[in-house]
Amino acid sequence: MNDLKQLAFQRKKSMLFLAVASFLKGVATIGQALFFVFIADRVFLQDASFESLLPLFGGLFAAILLRVGAGYAIGRAGVNLAADVKNEFRNNLIKSFAENPLLSASQGQSGQKVSLLMDAVDEVDGFFSKYIPQMIQTYIIPILLLGVIFTQNWTSAAIILITAPFIPVFMAMVGKGTKKKADEKMEQLSQFSGTFLDILQGLSTLKLFGQAEKQQKAIRKSSLSFRDSTMEVLKSAFLSSLMLEYISMLSIGIIALEIGLRLVVFDSISFFTAFFILILVPDFFNLLKDFGSAFHTARGSVSAANQISAELEKSRSPLTWGSETIASEPPHLSLEGLSFQYGEGFSLAPLAGEIPPYSQVAIVGKSGSGKTTFMHLLAGLFPQTEGRLMINGVPRENIAEKSWFDQLSYISQNPYLFAGTIRENMEIGADRPISDEEMLAAAEKAGIAEMVLTLEQGFETRIGEAGRGLSGGEKQRIALVRAFLKRPSLILFDEPTTGLDLRTEQILQNSLRELQKTSTVITVAHRLHTIKQADLIFFLEDGKLEAAGNHDQLLQNYRPYGEMLAAQQGGGVR
Amino acid sequence: MNELKHVLKLTLMEKKDVSIAILFGFLAGIASVALMGSSGYLISKAALTTQMTTLVVMAACLKLFGFASALSRYGERLYSHRATFTMLSHLRVSFFERLAPLAPGIFGKYRSGDLLSRIVGDVESLQNFLLRVFYPPVVLGIVLLSTIFFSSFFSMGIAVVMLIGLLLTVVAVPALFSIRKRRSDGKLRADRGNLAVEATEFLYGFRDLKIHQKLDAKEQQLKSDAAYYNEGQKKEGLEENLAQSINSLVALLVSFFVLGVGAYFVAAGELNGLYLAMLVMISIAAFENVAAMAAFPSYFEESRKAAVRLEEIVAEPALQQGIVKLPSGPLDIKLTGASFSYPGEKSLAVDDVSVHLKPGTKTAIVGSSGSGKSTLMQLMLNVFPLDHGQLSIGGEPVETLAQESIWQEMNVVLQENHFFYGTIRSNLLIADPRASDEQMEQALAKVQLELFPLEMNVEEKGQNLSGGQKQRLAIARALLKGKSLWLLDEPVSSVDSLTGHTIYQELFQQGENDLFVIISHDLAGLEKMDQIIVMENGRIVETGSYEELMKKKSYFHQLKQIENSVFA
Repeated sequence: MNDLKQLAFQRKKSMLFLAVASFLKGVATIGQALFFVFIADRVFLQDASFESLLPLFGGLFAAILLRVGAGYAIGRAGVNLAADVKNEFRNNLIKSFAENPLLSASQGQSGQKVSLLMDAVDEVDGFFSKYIPQMIQTYIIPILLLGVIFTQNWTSAAIILITAPFIPVFMAMVGKGTKKKADEKMEQLSQFSGTFLDILQGLSTLKLFGQAEKQQKAIRKSSLSFRDSTMEVLKSAFLSSLMLEYISMLSIGIIALEIGLRLVVFDSISFFTAFFILILVPDFFNLLKDFGSAFHTARGSVSAANQISAELEKSRSPLTWGSETIASEPPHLSLEGLSFQYGEGFSLAPLAGEIPPYSQVAIVGKSGSGKTTFMHLLAGLFPQTEGRLMINGVPRENIAEKSWFDQLSYISQNPYLFAGTIRENMEIGADRPISDEEMLAAAEKAGIAEMVLTLEQGFETRIGEAGRGLSGGEKQRIALVRAFLKRPSLILFDEPTTGLDLRTEQILQNSLRELQKTSTVITVAHRLHTIKQADLIFFLEDGKLEAAGNHDQLLQNYRPYGEMLAAQQGGGVR
Repeated sequence: MNELKHVLKLTLMEKKDVSIAILFGFLAGIASVALMGSSGYLISKAALTTQMTTLVVMAACLKLFGFASALSRYGERLYSHRATFTMLSHLRVSFFERLAPLAPGIFGKYRSGDLLSRIVGDVESLQNFLLRVFYPPVVLGIVLLSTIFFSSFFSMGIAVVMLIGLLLTVVAVPALFSIRKRRSDGKLRADRGNLAVEATEFLYGFRDLKIHQKLDAKEQQLKSDAAYYNEGQKKEGLEENLAQSINSLVALLVSFFVLGVGAYFVAAGELNGLYLAMLVMISIAAFENVAAMAAFPSYFEESRKAAVRLEEIVAEPALQQGIVKLPSGPLDIKLTGASFSYPGEKSLAVDDVSVHLKPGTKTAIVGSSGSGKSTLMQLMLNVFPLDHGQLSIGGEPVETLAQESIWQEMNVVLQENHFFYGTIRSNLLIADPRASDEQMEQALAKVQLELFPLEMNVEEKGQNLSGGQKQRLAIARALLKGKSLWLLDEPVSSVDSLTGHTIYQELFQQGENDLFVIISHDLAGLEKMDQIIVMENGRIVETGSYEELMKKKSYFHQLKQIENSVFA
C-alpha cells in the first residue's frame, strides 16, 4: 500500500490541490452549519423579520456552493490522478513488453499479459480516485471540525477525542477478523462459484450424453451453497459495521446528553452553540466511516498493483546493437561459443560453427532439444548469455539493428497476420513502395494470387483479427510473399511438422528453392529431403550441439543420426 | 427498463427477502431521519424550558432511534445480499434452462472460447441489479415520501420543496445521466476492445513485428491506444463525479429552501418556530442518502447491457427438430449434397459432400488442418443445420428426428472433451448412470487406465489429467455408453502410437458390428478401414480403401509420402 501512496505523493501538485480543496470543503461545511444555526436562532428565538435574514441566506448559499464546488474539485482531482497513474502503469507495461525478447518465444502467457494491461490496471483506479482523496479529506476536515467544536464547547471536543480513536482500532480488528473468515471459506467459495462455469463448459458433453436436465438441480444447489457461505463471511463484515455505527451513535448520544445538560440544567451554553455542535458532530463521524469504506476499495487495488509490479520487476536483458552496416548479400556467420540460459526453462550449451554465404543449413533434433532457441539466437531476437555471433567478422552487437533485420526473413510455422488488408500484410516485409505488378508477381510465385483474386476485394480484403480467417496453408503462403518482396539475404525457416495441404507443400519447396539462389537459408528441418540436401546439418540434443556436417559425413561419423533416419524410414507404420 | 424485465421478475421471485430488505432499509432511513428530527425539535424545546423531562426524552429518543437505525441497517444489508444471491441462483438456473436446448450448436456458431466466460461474467454483474439499481431508488423514494408526508402536517410549502428535491435527485438527475451514459458507453467499450486487440496483436506478433522493424511503431500505436482508452475512462469518471456533485448540490439546496420557506412562514407567523430546526434537520437527514444514486447510471447501464447480451444468446432459434425416435439396431448415416458455412463467413466449410456410411462399416476421414473434417463430423452429429443437402440417419431424415434421440444412439469423442469437477466415477456415470463399479473399471482397463481408482479426483476441466489421459477417459466414457454409432474426432492424437493402436483394437472388438467414423490426425494404421475419405477445402477429393488409394497414386498417396518423410 505504501508503494501506491508514494506514487500519489510524487504528484505534489495534485496532492497540494487535494489538500487545499479539502480545506475549503471543511471551511464550507463549518460555514454552512454556522449560517444554518444563525438563521434558525434569529427566526426562532429573536423573532427577526425575513428581510433581515436575506444576507445570511446569501452566506448560506455561498457556503453550499463552496462545499459542493470543493467536493467536485476533489472528485475531479482524484479521477485525474487515477488517470495519470494508470497511464504511467500502462506505458511502463507496454515498454517492458517491448523490451522483453523472450516474448517472441512464449506466446503462452499472452492472455495473462493482456489481462494485466487491461484489468489489473483498471483495478488500480479505485485507490487513486477514491481512497487517496478520502484519505486527504480525513486528514484535514475532521481536525478543522474538531478545532471549531473545541472553541465552542471544549467538553464536546474532549468526548470526541476519547471516543473517535475506537473507530480505526475497531476497523483494523474487524478487517482482520473478516479476512480470516474469508480465507477460511475461500476454497469452498471458489469451488461453488466455479460450478456454473464448469457445467456451461460441459454443456455439449452433457447434451451428447442426454444428461443436461439433471444439471439444473446441481446449479441451484451450488448457487445456494455459495450464497450461504458468502453470507457467513458477509455477516461478520456487517456485524462489524454495526459496531462502528454503535460507537459513533454512542459518541453522538453522549455529546447530545452533555449539551442538553448544560442547556437545560446549567443554562451554561446558548441554543446557538448547542445546535451548531449538534450539526457538526455527525459530519465528523461520517467522514471517518467513509474513510473506512474507501479502505476496502484500496485493498483490491493493492493486490492488482502487486501483480503489475511483479511483471515490471522481471529481469529483462534487452539486446544491444551498434552502428555498422552490413552489405546486402548473404553474410558469413561464425558462432563463437554462443550460449543461452534463461531461468530453468530453456538453455543452450556453447555452440560453435561456421555458416558460409549461400549455404543451406538444417537444424535437426527432437522437440525440446533447443532448435527454436538456436534460431532466435541466430536471428538476433535473443541476447546470448556468452560467446559471440560474428557477422562477416563483426560481432552482432556492433551491427545496426535496422541493417541486420533488413537482410532477414523468418518464416515460422504459424506466421502472424495483422489486422489489416492482405496487401498491408504482404508489404510489411519490404521497406519500400510496392507496385501492383510486383505484388501480383510475388503472390503468383507464392501460389496465392489465384485465391486472392477470387476475393471480392482482392488484395484489399481485410484479414487478421475480426477479418477473414485464413487457413494454415494460406498463412504460410503470405509469409512467402513477404519474403519475395523483401528479398532478404538470410532466411530462417521453421519447416511445418504436419497439417499442410499438398499444394502448399509443393509451393513451399519450390519457393524455398528459388529463395536459396539469393540467400543463406537456415531451416529447422522436419523433412528428409530438406535434411539430405543441406550443406550443413546441426544435430541438437538436450540443448547441446552433438554433431555438425553434411548428410554423408554425419551418416559416417555420427551413429545417432543414422539411427534417427532408420527409425523414420520404419516409422508411420503401427 | 424493458430489457431488465426478466431480471426483475427473477429478483421478485424472492418476495420475502426483498420485502424484508426494503422494510429494513425503510426503517433504517426513517430512524435516522427521526433521530435528527427529534434532536432538532428537542434542542429547540430545551432552549425554551428548564424541565428535566425534555432532557430525558431527548436522551431516550437519541438512543432509541440511533440503535434502531443501526440495527435496521444491519438487517437491510443481510437480507438484501441474501436476496441478491438467491436471485443469482434463479438467474443461473433460468439461463441454463434456456441455453441447454441450443447446445452444442451455439458454441460452434460463436466459435469463440470467451463466450462462456462472458456469460458467467454477465450473470455475475447482474448481482448489482438488486443492490444498486432496483433497491436504492425504491427505498429512498419511500423514505423521502414518508418524510414529505410527515412534513406536510407542519408546512405544505416545505413539503413541496422536498417533493421537488425528491423528483430531481431520485428521478431527473439519474435519468439524465443514464441517457448520457448510454451514449458514451458504446465508445468506451469499443476503445477497450481495440486496446485489447492491439495488445494481443503486439504480443502474438512480437517476432514478426521485430523482424519487420514495426515494433517501435506498434509500441507507439499501443501507447496511444492506451492513452485514448484512459482518456475515455477519465471522462466516465468525471461524469460520475459530476452526477454525484449535482445530486449533493440538489440535496443541500433542498435544506436551504426548507430553511428559507420555513423562516419565511415563521416570520409571517404561520409556522411555530419550535419546529423549524426539526424540519431542517429531517431534510438534511433524508437527503443524505441520495449519494447512492450517483452510481445508479453506471450500474443501470451495466445491468441493462448484461441483460441484453444474455438475452441475445438465448434468443437464438433452436435447431428445428422432430419427434420421431431413432430405431435401435443397425443404423446408417447418409449425407447428400451437404454444404455448410459458418455464420459470417463466405467460404464454405463443407462444400457439396455426399457420403453413405453403411451399418457396420469403418470409415476414416483424413486431410490437412482446416480442410473441414471436424465440421463434417459436426454435421453428422446434427449439431448445425445444413445450408443445402440432406442428412438421414437410419433412413430417417434428421428433420423428423428428435435431436436427443440421435445422440442417444451415438458414442461421441470430440477433440475437446469436457470433464467435470468431481471424481473419475462421477465423470463416467454421465455416460451411464446405472453403470456398476465393475463395468467402469472394465472400461478403464480397455483404455489402459486401470491404474486410475474410481474415487480419484478430477479437477475442473480435468486439468490434473494429461491430454492423452483425457482422451482415453473420453473413450472409456464412450465405451460405457455402448451404442452402435461411433463418431470419433482425433480420439488418440495425444496418446503414444502403441497404446493408440491397442485402444483401436479394443474399440473394434467391442463394436465389431458397429458403424465407426474416425477423424485421424495421421495416416498410419488406416489399412483396416473399409473406407478412407480424403478432404481438402471442404470437399472430398478422394474416397476408397487404403489399398485402392495407394494404388491410385494420387492425393492420398502423396500425403502418405510426405508423412513418411516428416520427422516429428
